[in-house]
Amino acid sequence: MIGPFLRLRVFLRSFAIQGSWNYRTLLGTGFAFALLPVLRVVYRERTALHAAVDRHASLFNSHPYLAGIALGAVARLEADGAPPELIERFKAALRGSLGQLGDRLVWAGWRPACVLLALALLLAGLPWWGVLAVFLLVYNAGHIALRWWALRTGFESGRQVAERVRAAGLDALRERIATAGALGTGVLLPLLVVRGAGMEPVTLWGSLLAASAAALGVLFGARIRTPVIGGLTALIALGFLLKVTQ
Amino acid sequence: MNWLGVGVLGGVAGLDATSFAQVMLSRPLVAGILTGLLFGHPREGAMIGAVLEIFDLGILPVGATRYPDAGTATVAAVAAYSTVPLHALDPGVLLLAVLFGLAWESVTGTSTVLLRRVNERLVLGTPRWRGNPGRTLERQHLLSMVLDFLRAAALAVTGAAVGGVLLRLAAGRWVLGAEIATAGLTVAAAAMAGALLGVFGGWRERRRALGIGVLGGSLLLLLLR
Repeated sequence: MIGPFLRLRVFLRSFAIQGSWNYRTLLGTGFAFALLPVLRVVYRERTALHAAVDRHASLFNSHPYLAGIALGAVARLEADGAPPELIERFKAALRGSLGQLGDRLVWAGWRPACVLLALALLLAGLPWWGVLAVFLLVYNAGHIALRWWALRTGFESGRQVAERVRAAGLDALRERIATAGALGTGVLLPLLVVRGAGMEPVTLWGSLLAASAAALGVLFGARIRTPVIGGLTALIALGFLLKVTQ
Repeated sequence: MNWLGVGVLGGVAGLDATSFAQVMLSRPLVAGILTGLLFGHPREGAMIGAVLEIFDLGILPVGATRYPDAGTATVAAVAAYSTVPLHALDPGVLLLAVLFGLAWESVTGTSTVLLRRVNERLVLGTPRWRGNPGRTLERQHLLSMVLDFLRAAALAVTGAAVGGVLLRLAAGRWVLGAEIATAGLTVAAAAMAGALLGVFGGWRERRRALGIGVLGGSLLLLLLR
């Protein structure tokens, strides 16, 4: 019932799954939007289609790239004629874990690792167009492959999708990406400290201060953001205010 | 100023952040380069974008985090920087552009929260039982995306205008010299880059990988000399 063309339509619509993100249904409406081509095939009768759309537009959450797992599995269940209560319970069971898994794998793994690669290349002297091309190609190769894998796994596995995802070794993959990310942070630091972040070369004392700041950053983590912005603001204020007093 | 270009780039960056595609056109580095390109300053756009990127990379869109719409703010900051006449550009202006970008992120971030409240009303307040099944939902969904694009486009243009005035006023008034401006920006970026280790598990878990990376980066520097 769910042919390749229908799968492709769901896949393309899944890119807009967060289009109407809100605090009540989270990405529920987007879920129904992406599933709609399948629902239109499964429910030929108008009232039944309305009811199905309403059911699927209720609360749902997931990482957007991994939402395909739920979309594919739910599409399969709908096509197999599973009762609505079972589908609702299935969606509820999936929604928390897909969010957490994707956040760790993509937002705290793949994305920062790819950005660090791009920043390191920029500071190593690669021209801007090279940096742009490498970042967008590398990141989106992983991004689109993950989306496609998620949807295909959902379609193929149906209710057994949780076992398939567990067996896929995403945690091990996340671990390897995190190690690569830490490595990337390490590569970036000396490049940044020596080459500087401005349009002019940085002096030796500037590099020494930056190295100390980097060590503080490693030590204090994200807590350092507010003091750093405060320091930058103070420096800017000083630089401009001195002109007034001259 | 190419207002239409700024609006389109800002709108695309805002849309890409959450609503559609998420192919990372919304990352400050990408948005900075593209905006710089629009004004003929891709290198400066890349540098402003890179510093804003280092500041924002550690903020993850998870749980109840108030997530900044950094791409739209970067478009505004780079466009504002590009309005300053070349002869008046001094290192202080670059610093100020970065700080303006960071400040504008809070405006764009707040607007995202407001749009999500509007979406709530749009999605829950309209009965879907009228008309063609599914069509109403599709219209609501697409309207939300159009609103997101318009929100980001308007904020990119407004930010570019406000930031442009501020930066032009500040141009030529920086008295601490290029050395201090570059050092200040580098120190701030280095601190934030160090903090990124926390995203991958922190010092205890990743110190070995960090150490190998520092060694590799240092060797790369020697090779590039």
